Amino acid sequence: MSEQSSEALRQIAVSAGLAPMGVRPPLGQYLRDLWSRRAFLWELSSSKAYARNRNSYLGQAWSVLTPLLSAAVYIIIFGIVLNTTRGVENAIGFILVGTFMFRFFEHAVSGGGKAIRGNTSLVRAVRFPRAVLPISVVLSELVTLGPALVVMLVVTYLSGLGEFPKFAYVPVSWRWLLLPLAIMLLAFFNVGCAFIMARWVARAPDIQNLIGFVMRFVMYASGVIFSIDHYFKDHPGVGWVLQRQPVAVYLELTRACVLHEPTIPLTWQTWAWGVGWAALFAIGGFLYFWRGEERYGRD
Amino acid sequence: MTDAELDFEVDPEDLEGWAPATREIGGPSLVVDHLDITYRVFGGKKLGTSDESSGRRLQRVVGRRSGHVGAVQQVRAVRDVTFVAHHGESIGIVGINGSGKSTLLRAVAGLIPPTKGSVYVAGEPSLLGVNAVLMGDLTGERNIMIGGLALGLSRSEVQQRMDDIVEFAGIGDFVYLPMKAYSSGMGARLRFAISTAATPDILMIDEALATGDASFREKSKARIDEIRQGAGTVFLVSHSLATVQAICSRVLWLHQGRLVMDGPTEEVCASYKEFVQSLRKSRSLAKKK
Repeated sequence: MSEQSSEALRQIAVSAGLAPMGVRPPLGQYLRDLWSRRAFLWELSSSKAYARNRNSYLGQAWSVLTPLLSAAVYIIIFGIVLNTTRGVENAIGFILVGTFMFRFFEHAVSGGGKAIRGNTSLVRAVRFPRAVLPISVVLSELVTLGPALVVMLVVTYLSGLGEFPKFAYVPVSWRWLLLPLAIMLLAFFNVGCAFIMARWVARAPDIQNLIGFVMRFVMYASGVIFSIDHYFKDHPGVGWVLQRQPVAVYLELTRACVLHEPTIPLTWQTWAWGVGWAALFAIGGFLYFWRGEERYGRD
Repeated sequence: MTDAELDFEVDPEDLEGWAPATREIGGPSLVVDHLDITYRVFGGKKLGTSDESSGRRLQRVVGRRSGHVGAVQQVRAVRDVTFVAHHGESIGIVGINGSGKSTLLRAVAGLIPPTKGSVYVAGEPSLLGVNAVLMGDLTGERNIMIGGLALGLSRSEVQQRMDDIVEFAGIGDFVYLPMKAYSSGMGARLRFAISTAATPDILMIDEALATGDASFREKSKARIDEIRQGAGTVFLVSHSLATVQAICSRVLWLHQGRLVMDGPTEEVCASYKEFVQSLRKSRSLAKKK
């Protein structure tokens, strides 16, 4: 309508003390905004975790039963029938910890992909730093993981009491206290993955369809249901690389905390790898996500 | 795209005593500079635009043929819109369905990033939509908390207003039930109550007046009026010209994403009415043929 030039309009805006909208906020301010919305973040995450299992008779019990049942499938097929866990003293504990931790990672990645795309109406209705969404995905997974972990520890301990040769005794150890720390590192790594996936899928929704396949592949490459070094004895190079990739590192770390496997010692090197991957992904993922901030919600 | 485009869902007599704000017009509170919004829409079908021009129809036919693989459509919802709003103004946005009114409002509220051009704004604008963050599996109580926090209130502020919100929405003990158990009216009323819980600098109202039954409409009008008194600038998107005329001192008319007219309410509303009537006439003529 009015034929004012952009420059003239900018002058009007600046002299009236108006700030530009829909542009990416500087990093410092973005972090402050994010911090000021922490109550929203927590409420969103805990509500999502709670809402997940509302539509069934057993309700919240499913947040423990589902991972337990899927672990049972793997234990029966891979641990007992196919016997892929050679070189492992307690196959139940090994597979149980593996599937529970991998599940956490898998859900963080697929949930992260949906973080922006699946919440378009929320993104277009209310203003807040969009980083809240991928973080809340991981946080709500973490909330559901809590009770599941207790069950995981109990079942692992019980599995060793039967004195079967394949399911050796797993003592209750002080190292169990380190498990929350290991899971925290995994959570930071997961947040980084969720950030990256959120931006990718927001840009190209097709990627969401590929996540399932990639996850299968990562699962077999990370030793969720078998021990990597046992299978790659003849190819130590490949084994070394596979064992240093983040998912395998976190599986090893959590197993070393929970289990009593001579082949999985708790070493400071594993901790160092865990801290390194967590820091790299959390910071890198956050920066990557932030750089797309001004685009979320438009497409 | 029926005749409901111009539904007067608010009776003019309901609006007695509602005069357009006569407050002094202050300095600029919002500058929109050559704003363009382009959506990417996935999938072969084109949704959300109501262009009836033959060119678009052709595009739609072509799109249908090739729209199964790699179908990405660009929808230009807002094109080259420029205006300056001032403190103390209440501005109505009118236009037929799909003319880009809601998109413009969302862009101005900072919810949809501009494709081209820019928006300058004072303070934090708030969009009063009826599609706030609501999760059907959760109780009304939890939804009020999430919605309030999303709007930037603190936990204790939401708790303070909890009773007010529940009372305003008139849902009683249903607040302890999951929202999927609500009637659609209850859900809409709760959404409205949540989104009016915070009083912003720039208030944008998107069709919120159409929510609920007559008595709720009256209550919601009172609430909007209350917010209007406190807010610097009010934007109102409505299909109801009666509402726009009652509340707004200035009107923007959008058509196919372009700003057709920008001026005092009487002037713009008169031309818009004329346009809609001629559109209706030409359509009924086309039907007869």
